[in-house]
Amino acid sequence: MRRIERLINLIAALLDTERPMSAEDIRQKIAGYDQPNHDAFRRSFERDKEALRTMGIPLEVRPVPGADVDGYIIPKDKYYLPELDLEPDELAALRLTASAVLGGQRVAESGLMKLSVDAPNTEWNGPRVVWGADMATEQPLLGSLYGALLDRAAVSFDYSTAEGSTSVRYVEPYGLVHRTGNWYVVGRDVSRDAVRSFKVSRIAGDVRPTGESYTIPESFDAASHLGGEPWEIGEETTDVTVHFDASLAWWADQNLAGLPTTTDADGGRTVTMKVARLDALISWVIGLGEHVEIVAPAEARARLVQHLSPFLESA
Amino acid sequence: MSDQSTAGRLGQRLGRILLMLPYAIQNPGVSVTELSHRFGVAKRDVIDDLNLVFLCGLPGYGPGDLIDVSIDEDRIYIDMADYFSAPLRLTPGEALSLYAGATALAELPDLANAGSLKSALDKLGKALGVDGDAARIGVRFEPAPVQHLATLRDALSRKRRVRLEYLSATRGELTEREVDPWGLIAALGRWYLVARDRLSGEERMFRLDRMKVAEITSDAAEVPEDFDAERYKGAFTGEGETSVTLEISPAAARWFEDYYPVENSYELDDGWRKVTMIAGGDRWMATLMLQLGSDCRNPEPESLQQRARALAAAIEARHR
Repeated sequence: MRRIERLINLIAALLDTERPMSAEDIRQKIAGYDQPNHDAFRRSFERDKEALRTMGIPLEVRPVPGADVDGYIIPKDKYYLPELDLEPDELAALRLTASAVLGGQRVAESGLMKLSVDAPNTEWNGPRVVWGADMATEQPLLGSLYGALLDRAAVSFDYSTAEGSTSVRYVEPYGLVHRTGNWYVVGRDVSRDAVRSFKVSRIAGDVRPTGESYTIPESFDAASHLGGEPWEIGEETTDVTVHFDASLAWWADQNLAGLPTTTDADGGRTVTMKVARLDALISWVIGLGEHVEIVAPAEARARLVQHLSPFLESA
Repeated sequence: MSDQSTAGRLGQRLGRILLMLPYAIQNPGVSVTELSHRFGVAKRDVIDDLNLVFLCGLPGYGPGDLIDVSIDEDRIYIDMADYFSAPLRLTPGEALSLYAGATALAELPDLANAGSLKSALDKLGKALGVDGDAARIGVRFEPAPVQHLATLRDALSRKRRVRLEYLSATRGELTEREVDPWGLIAALGRWYLVARDRLSGEERMFRLDRMKVAEITSDAAEVPEDFDAERYKGAFTGEGETSVTLEISPAAARWFEDYYPVENSYELDDGWRKVTMIAGGDRWMATLMLQLGSDCRNPEPESLQQRARALAAAIEARHR
């Protein structure tokens, strides 16, 4: 018997059964587990369990009632996709989404396929605009972290900080946030007993469940915890005012709308920004070139000049 | 053939079967042709899958236990497989990519389907069993100028040339140009227009936040048939490209290669890394060097150092 037949039989039996099946039961009853000895059976069964787990099939270990042994079962309420009653327009919107995701496209499409199993196969008929959103969802760690978040299952992982030190972190994930091409997991760092954010690309190796569960504080907003711009990421902020020359006034108007802004006599703009990380702001100001100036505080101006000093003629 | 690719193919086929069964059970009499279209595989593969399923079932494996498949002149009927009548729920990865993609799309100001998208996500949240706070996912883009997004989508759907006033990172000044738009891409948290510059004839990526003006012209745009958005994920502008080398400090080297188009690099005796990278012009490179500050040294060609010094002096003059 081919392995794929054995896997289908295994899923069918564990999904249909009301009573967990012990390993011995599985060996005797499910077609495909007729390996010549116990070790060979164990090896096949372990591989099959791993295959099911990889596909996201919920295989659970539970005590067999009336017997002093653990058994396996696929709980129906965890396997089946609940009825969603998606309307055609909702499916069309999701289809549009799946076609727009770059990187994670295949994953998005297989999800869509499940959602549209009871719907007619309508094509997306919008304008033929080619676009995409690179969500970098191809990172397998994201799926693990999101799964942990949905199950409220605390995790541990090896994490390298920007300064280069690596340590094990124990984290209760509260949310996942995407910022300028990077994913962050925001959650309670158990050892430090404080909410921290971790850049997913700095996690080395696997995300391991610790076996602990947790609750997420009501009304916790992961996105606002992380802040918006790179210079906003941090606890304490100070006000920094930045001047844009008249030639760049349009840029400030277009891209910084919403921040307190004054129009200056020369036609330029002065914008007040809340800054937690001055070095990130300085990098941003330098990126805009010589038509932008940090006005205040004096300390920020000095820091910028200090940052440029390797390139300045010594006086 | 590696074990991993075998496992990947097996998983893919099993995943397809676990989807095809519910679909065929819920749509009795569906044709082999339709299944083949819907699941993107050859008819031959559909029939192979059905022949395989036919051999499977519940313990006992007698006539009343095996899955019953009959094909009647291309029409398919499946029986005795109630346990496969609904699909497997979404994996966290599948849910996440739909969620994240939808959140990004919802940023589009003129998206006609915004309401549908929102209600679809609400239902998806219920499917995950985390009603209410299903998302717990924040996706944020640099705010893109609403009017440009609308204009460019219009130009793309009508295949029209666009006139841009653009703040060029290569020159550090406003430039005017006409481009043939190919596509809109959101990458690295920003919106970009992929387009061919009429003057240089080169394809470029233009950041929407750097467009002062974007206007549709009456000229038709030439758009390649085989435009593939996937190629532009890295969001490198492709303007004024040259190859340069630079030495990066150990502290900055850890993240540098994640962000910039580094072609190759090696470690020097003192722990610094020498990188060869694609630079988007001298001005672009000088700006990057100033941003790195004391974390970079020894640029080649050496003229870059002069360029960086000139720019540093101009910025410093504003902060004296």
